[in-house]
Amino acid sequence: MKIKTGLLLACCLVPASVLSDELTLRVQLAGGAGPVTGAVVYLNDGSQASPLRAEMFQKDRMFHPQILILPVGSSVDFPNRDNTQHHVYSFSPAKTFNLELYAGMPETPVLFDQPGIVELGCNIHDHMQAFIVVADTRAIGKTNEQGEVTLALNFGASQPPGSLSLNIWHPRLPDNTRPVIQEIDAASLANSTAEIVSIELKPEPRNEGPLDHLQKRFREL
Amino acid sequence: MASWVNRIGFRGRLVTAMVALVALVSLLIGALLMVYLFDDEKRRAQEQLSIAERVTNEVIARRTDLELSRLSIVVRDFGFRSAIASRDPATLNSALENHSGRVGADFAMLLDSQGELLASTLSRALPGTTAAQLANARNNGADRSLLTIDQRGYEVLVVPVEAPGLRAWLVAGFEMDEALANIIARLSGSSVIFRTSANTPGGFISFAASSDIESGSEPASMKSVGGQNFIESARYFTRTLNLDASGQSAFEAVLMTSREASLQNYYSRALEIGLLVTVIMVFAIVLALLTARYLGRPVLQLARYAKAVGRGDNPQAPDIRTGGELHELRNALRDTLARLIRREAEIRHAATHDEVTGLGNRHALMHMAKEGFDADVSCSLIGLRVSDLSNINDTLGIEFGDKVLRGLSQRLRDELPDASLIARTGGGEFLALVPVHSPGTLKQRALALHNAVESPLDVGNTPFSLRANLITLQLPADASQTNELRRRVNLTFEQALQQGAAVTRYEPGQDENHLRELKLVSDLHSAIHHGGLHMNYQPKLDNHTGQLLQVEALVRWIHPELGFISPEEFIFLAEQSGQINDLTDHILQRVANDARAWFSAGLDVGVAINLSAMDLTWPALTERITSIFAGWHHSMERITLEVTESALMEDPVEAMATLNRLRDLGVTLSVDDFGTGYSSLSQLRKLPVQELKIDKSFVLRLNAEPQDQLIVKSTIDMAHGLGLTVVAEGIENLETWKLLQSWGCNVGQGFYLSRPVSAGDLAQTAATIAERQHELADTTPEHSS
Repeated sequence: MKIKTGLLLACCLVPASVLSDELTLRVQLAGGAGPVTGAVVYLNDGSQASPLRAEMFQKDRMFHPQILILPVGSSVDFPNRDNTQHHVYSFSPAKTFNLELYAGMPETPVLFDQPGIVELGCNIHDHMQAFIVVADTRAIGKTNEQGEVTLALNFGASQPPGSLSLNIWHPRLPDNTRPVIQEIDAASLANSTAEIVSIELKPEPRNEGPLDHLQKRFREL
Repeated sequence: MASWVNRIGFRGRLVTAMVALVALVSLLIGALLMVYLFDDEKRRAQEQLSIAERVTNEVIARRTDLELSRLSIVVRDFGFRSAIASRDPATLNSALENHSGRVGADFAMLLDSQGELLASTLSRALPGTTAAQLANARNNGADRSLLTIDQRGYEVLVVPVEAPGLRAWLVAGFEMDEALANIIARLSGSSVIFRTSANTPGGFISFAASSDIESGSEPASMKSVGGQNFIESARYFTRTLNLDASGQSAFEAVLMTSREASLQNYYSRALEIGLLVTVIMVFAIVLALLTARYLGRPVLQLARYAKAVGRGDNPQAPDIRTGGELHELRNALRDTLARLIRREAEIRHAATHDEVTGLGNRHALMHMAKEGFDADVSCSLIGLRVSDLSNINDTLGIEFGDKVLRGLSQRLRDELPDASLIARTGGGEFLALVPVHSPGTLKQRALALHNAVESPLDVGNTPFSLRANLITLQLPADASQTNELRRRVNLTFEQALQQGAAVTRYEPGQDENHLRELKLVSDLHSAIHHGGLHMNYQPKLDNHTGQLLQVEALVRWIHPELGFISPEEFIFLAEQSGQINDLTDHILQRVANDARAWFSAGLDVGVAINLSAMDLTWPALTERITSIFAGWHHSMERITLEVTESALMEDPVEAMATLNRLRDLGVTLSVDDFGTGYSSLSQLRKLPVQELKIDKSFVLRLNAEPQDQLIVKSTIDMAHGLGLTVVAEGIENLETWKLLQSWGCNVGQGFYLSRPVSAGDLAQTAATIAERQHELADTTPEHSS
């Protein structure tokens, strides 16, 4: 991955003899408060990625991984590696499913055949959360620790449009059920420097959930 | 005011002062207590309201927490979330109704993640939930607000429904109802009203109240509560608590503590304090009375003591148990009393004793005599007067005189051991009261005393003799009053001195004469000066022709009380009392006036006036006669001044001088009453007199007494021999008149010729005499001398 980035960077440094097909973005918090790590950025450039067979297992009452990026049509297995049962569900419009209490490997994988953000939860472990970003493009990536991501663009034969709709998603978006869409100028693709995109995020979750202090007070009673 | 203060006295003032002090202090303490109590009650009410405020906040916060926790359960309910995910309106509505029922919400709404209404248990629309509320709920997990719907207050909670991303919003409303108010009221002990600001400015709408606020008046109060007035009512302590932390709408809890219980408490305390004050007052009064009695009794005792001292008693000093000042006062009074008694004794002794002899004094004697008179006790009095004490004092010194007196008083004591009192009543006068004696024995004792007193007295080894007169009186026979006693003692002493007797007894009646004389002496003065005397005139006729020559002026006094007073008596008294010159002067004037009146009336008559022996020693006599008879209408010879033979002989030299001066005036001088005195013929020969008046004692019975005839005849001859005219007075009959005529007497006077007449009657008398002239005239003209 690093070598690849290095290559990409090396390419960028080459004078723009040809239209660049890579876009480097830096995602930062609104107000320039710092880079955003782990934001998923994708661009519907019309390129199609091949469906995958992925796995999201549950271990120590957590989903692993917590964010999974998949092309449309991919299937995901949800093996349970805890010694308790789990009840994995999703009410997201992109994929609504319900794996009622189970242990081990469910018999069939879940097919994600629509693009969108799918929120996963466990009905008996409220704190367990996971997201699956189902994208219909290959130009998708996650920001690194500097908040930077480089997308490989491939508009194919068609001419790139004047402006590009950038989809940015992060678990801590105020509404994390959908990506934030930002328009950027296509001319910026020619720039060798990274495009800066700002998004608003909820603060880092505190150790205790929003309702926990109420429970604590009830305990005091 | 002052008199009132004085009247209430010491005790009253003490009681008043103490009671006033106690009352003041009690009332002050009581008032302070009441103020503190009131403040305390107020503070406690404030405290209670503070507690109520905290309780209200806590109860509402816990209710909110409880509701939130219930809501959190509901929003995590898988079925509920499934129902939301189904997006089926009927399912959503029924699930919302069911699950809001589970949490006890009064209403509930479901909004999608964008805030659009998905479902509601209310039939009507609500004010939309604002984006700010949703953002707050998103950030904090829940949003709380207060809302008024249909005049009811609700707590509205907004919580997100997450699955696990935000799927929807649940809005639930919980009414702030009477049940909540009652819980707060029960926990805090205060009444609670929930209210919110109404549309009208300053107005409030109350939508719930704890049931301890009178439910009967609640509908009314619900409307009227809007005003601040009710909240500030005197019946409640009130505190207003803003329930809406955001402060956008005035959503308040009104906490009220009824003042009635506090006031009731306050009033019962006031009653107790009042009772206590009353008891203290009564106690103070009793204490004050006791103290006043304790203090006042010795004061009263001392007052009574002082009063008794004032009366002159010799009371026992009271026993003052209280020490200190009153004790000192008692001692001072007692010592004063002792000194008073001693001083009084000294004064009394000095007042009743003679300091030289130690005998009683006049005062003591009179006092004792008076006691005797009052008690009707008889006793005898012996008086002694040393005749030459002043001589002794003058020649031998007062000291020697005192020694004499002391020696004398010792003798009196020795001689009169039975005397109830011996007193020195004057310089050399001593009086002694002795038991009653018969006149004889009294005289014997007095004589014995006289002998003892006159026997030589050994004074400083010098034998010394005294002469003394003694008197005796029987009391109360001779005097029954002290004034009488003094007068009669004096009278008797004077008499004793005159008589020179060793012992003189007071003769009853003496004093009465004395008094009559005193009265005459004093009345004579006014009689002289206020016309009390009148003049009579007795004609003097020529013995040869029977012609009226002259009238002799005779003064008469008719006393208004005592009647006719004989001229001898009152003239003697006038001489004694020194009024004789006034009297003579008066007579001279009267005679002169009358004579001028007669002359004016054509009556040719001379006057004869008697002079007293004392007139002859009156230096102003000649001058007075000159002035009174100035411009006399006759020759001065027609004025005859008659002087008695005895008067002439008292002081012949002085008489001679006066007579010479009178003679120089030209008046005729006559020797009156010739033949009664011891006239020295050699003296008579020298006197410048022109007339001799034979005393009537020789003439009255001249016709019958051969001796008188001899005397008169030879006197006439002798007088003629000396060249004097002769006047005979006291002619009572014609025979005498004729005898005198035959002897050659010049002038006659007597009742036979004429009685004395008043000045006015003289003319008539003169006429009568003229008629009798032929009867009186001498029928033998050749027989004359």
